[in-house]
Amino acid sequence: MIKPKIAYFNKFIHWKMVMVYLIAILCVTIVLTTAIGPVYVPPLEIVALLGNKLHLCEAASIPHKYDVIILQIRLPRIVLGLLVGLSLATAGTTLQGLFKNPMADPYIIGIASGAAVGAVFSMLILPGFLFIYTKPFMAFLGAMFTTFLVYNIAKVGRRIPVDTLLLTGIAVSLFLGAVLSFMMFVAEDLHSIFFWLMGGFWLANWAQVKITILPVFVCFFLIYIFAKDLNAMLLGEECAQTLGINVEWVKKILLVFAAFITATAVSFVGTIGFVGLIIPHITRILVGPDHRILFPASALVGGIFLVWTDALARLLGEMPVGIITAFFGAPFFIYLLRKRKGGHYFT
Amino acid sequence: MPLEIKDVDAYYGSVKILDGIDFSASHGELLGVIGPNGSGKTTLLRTISRILKPKVGTILLEGRDVQGMKDKEFSRNFAAVPQDTTINFDFSALDIVLMGRNPHLGRLELEGEEDIEIARRCMELTNCWHLAERPITELSGGERQLVIIARALTQEPKVLLLDEPTSHLDINYQIEIMELLKRLTSEEKLIVVAVIHDLNLAAQYCDRLALLHKGKIVSLGTQAQVLTAENIKNTFGADVIIKKHALTDHCFVSPVPSLLKRQNKNEAELTIHLICGGGEGASLMHELCERGYRVTAGVVNMLDTDQEVAKLLNIPVVTEAPFSPITEEAFQAHLALIDKANVVVLCNTPFGYGNLKNLEVAERALERNKPLLVFDATRIEKRDFTNGEATKRFIALKDKGAIMVKSQEEVLKLLNISTLFDA
Ligand SMILES: Nc1ncnc2c1ncn2[C@@H]1O[C@H](COP(=O)(O)OP(=O)(O)OP(=O)(O)O)[C@@H](O)[C@H]1O
Ligand SMILES: [Mg+2]
Repeated sequence: MIKPKIAYFNKFIHWKMVMVYLIAILCVTIVLTTAIGPVYVPPLEIVALLGNKLHLCEAASIPHKYDVIILQIRLPRIVLGLLVGLSLATAGTTLQGLFKNPMADPYIIGIASGAAVGAVFSMLILPGFLFIYTKPFMAFLGAMFTTFLVYNIAKVGRRIPVDTLLLTGIAVSLFLGAVLSFMMFVAEDLHSIFFWLMGGFWLANWAQVKITILPVFVCFFLIYIFAKDLNAMLLGEECAQTLGINVEWVKKILLVFAAFITATAVSFVGTIGFVGLIIPHITRILVGPDHRILFPASALVGGIFLVWTDALARLLGEMPVGIITAFFGAPFFIYLLRKRKGGHYFT
Repeated sequence: MPLEIKDVDAYYGSVKILDGIDFSASHGELLGVIGPNGSGKTTLLRTISRILKPKVGTILLEGRDVQGMKDKEFSRNFAAVPQDTTINFDFSALDIVLMGRNPHLGRLELEGEEDIEIARRCMELTNCWHLAERPITELSGGERQLVIIARALTQEPKVLLLDEPTSHLDINYQIEIMELLKRLTSEEKLIVVAVIHDLNLAAQYCDRLALLHKGKIVSLGTQAQVLTAENIKNTFGADVIIKKHALTDHCFVSPVPSLLKRQNKNEAELTIHLICGGGEGASLMHELCERGYRVTAGVVNMLDTDQEVAKLLNIPVVTEAPFSPITEEAFQAHLALIDKANVVVLCNTPFGYGNLKNLEVAERALERNKPLLVFDATRIEKRDFTNGEATKRFIALKDKGAIMVKSQEEVLKLLNISTLFDA
């Protein structure tokens, strides 16, 4: 009976293969989506330019007319898309694991609304006090505050039941929606807030990428460290505790990280819903429930998904990308709700 | 003692749940915790497994205070199997078992050959290795329980805590799991503390029992010391009969038939005397008592089933020393009982030289005009071990007016027509 042992190591190989495939798809995605937009750029040109820039090859002749479009407009937008997709998917995976609940998502439980209020507040009241970091910082404060508010309201005894969590999230989101409306009502520069709220990448630039990339990756790594703990917590909190995990501490830490990574994403591109809900689900079907593979895989899938939806948004005359994700996401959410009646939460 | 629970008080909020719990357990011991619902058994296990912090008192493992241990170190020493585990995720059974290696691995460390080897050994020990690749969501409750126990074992703990590991399981899995625990203690020298609802299972497998009531240990010791009718009455509030199991000499708990609590009298107030022995009267005694008749019996030897049942049912009975012939003294006592009876029943008892006097007493009953019902279910020749002497006397009874009956139902029916037998 040696079979399961081999199968077990096959699992690790399978994980590696999944990552290789996803990275390959990611590369293709980057090239293809760079080509898409009001001006069509031949993919080969993009490959040549990228190869050149990364010193991978010495392409002979590159017509310079595409340089600005590729390097200054499309690429920062795509990289930012990847980072935001990664962040939302990671936040979603974390929350779903923490709450053992597939409905948890940074938007549905109100974290993102909190971040939005924080961000809009900073746009209105104190634009300059931390330079470019003001908005992310305020968004983080808003997200944290909302997280702990929802967490504590939804808590019944020591448990956080699914229904109270969703209801609390909705109630708090509605309240924050009212706060947002109020702020827009009194605002002078309504236009920028309005566009920001709809969610989109049209203002993406390398400066945003630069300040986002490090926090997002650090935060992703810090969350990833807890992958095994999340696995064990799926067996029940007391079970996890007897496996040597300080459950209460892990929960708080992960909530802070999830709020942080959501806020970072939200602060630059506005509210883009449902990515954190759909992506972890689909990835779980692909790779199983183990968070050690679920985190990296859903991060990649999230990035790829958002970059493609953004490309679609570009084609549709710069439609806010949040509209497209909601078009996909809301029906998916309803599907999950209906499936939940059957009793099974995951996959 | 390796595991010492010293004067532990535990609270939920301001409610005291555990009150001065004090016991210890040694390596290779299977300690059963029993007690009524809500007595604090789960709370006790939660306290030992550090989920609940005791307000007063300490828990020592091999002389070390467990509160001082780091989380991972603690989980290398203590493993717990919770009351019920529901897992909604498609982990394979082996995935779940390997989670038990977490305390031994670094955060980012993948499980290696050695871990899988340990998991395999534990799963073989619990007889679930063949389930290794199955999704945990598709296993039956019993199979899942085996997997969860295997997971606890892969932690390689010194102490294993189980909360009702056998509830919801069928008798086969109950036995399998209890035998496993027994093996783990005797072979692997584990300290096992298990909450067990089934008193008989606890009696049969546990080395010692702790009886919990309202957060206190009211009795601690061997099953014979703990499982007394009095203890059970005081804690569970239930009337039970404690018997020794015929094969294993373990205590055996069964509920007292409801009649003993009713203690109502039959309207007819008839007293029925059974001449029995060899276990032939037991079930009729019970039936009659159930119907509210007063019952007496004689002469039976000590240790005879009839004697034991009579004792349980509080029936006056004339007894004789084990395997001894009926003495004159017992015969006279027997006659005295028969004098007080309204009806005498001669059961389907086999006759040897030792109890021939029971046939003689039946004759005397007839002589005293007592109605005599005689069981004739098994032919007398077949249960005559006196070379015909008993048969002769038996046939004589018939001639003197004994009423022959074939079955218990017939006896009950005849007794019902109470006019036949005036009180
Ligand atoms: N989380 C809790 N908060 C407050 N009180 C609790 C909690 N859990 C249990 N209790 C109370 O503590 C007492 C002991 O409960 P415990 O679960 O230890 O009983 P038990 O002996 O395991 O019962 P059972 O046989 O039904 O499992 C009960 O009165 C119960 O109501
Ligand atoms: Mg219990």
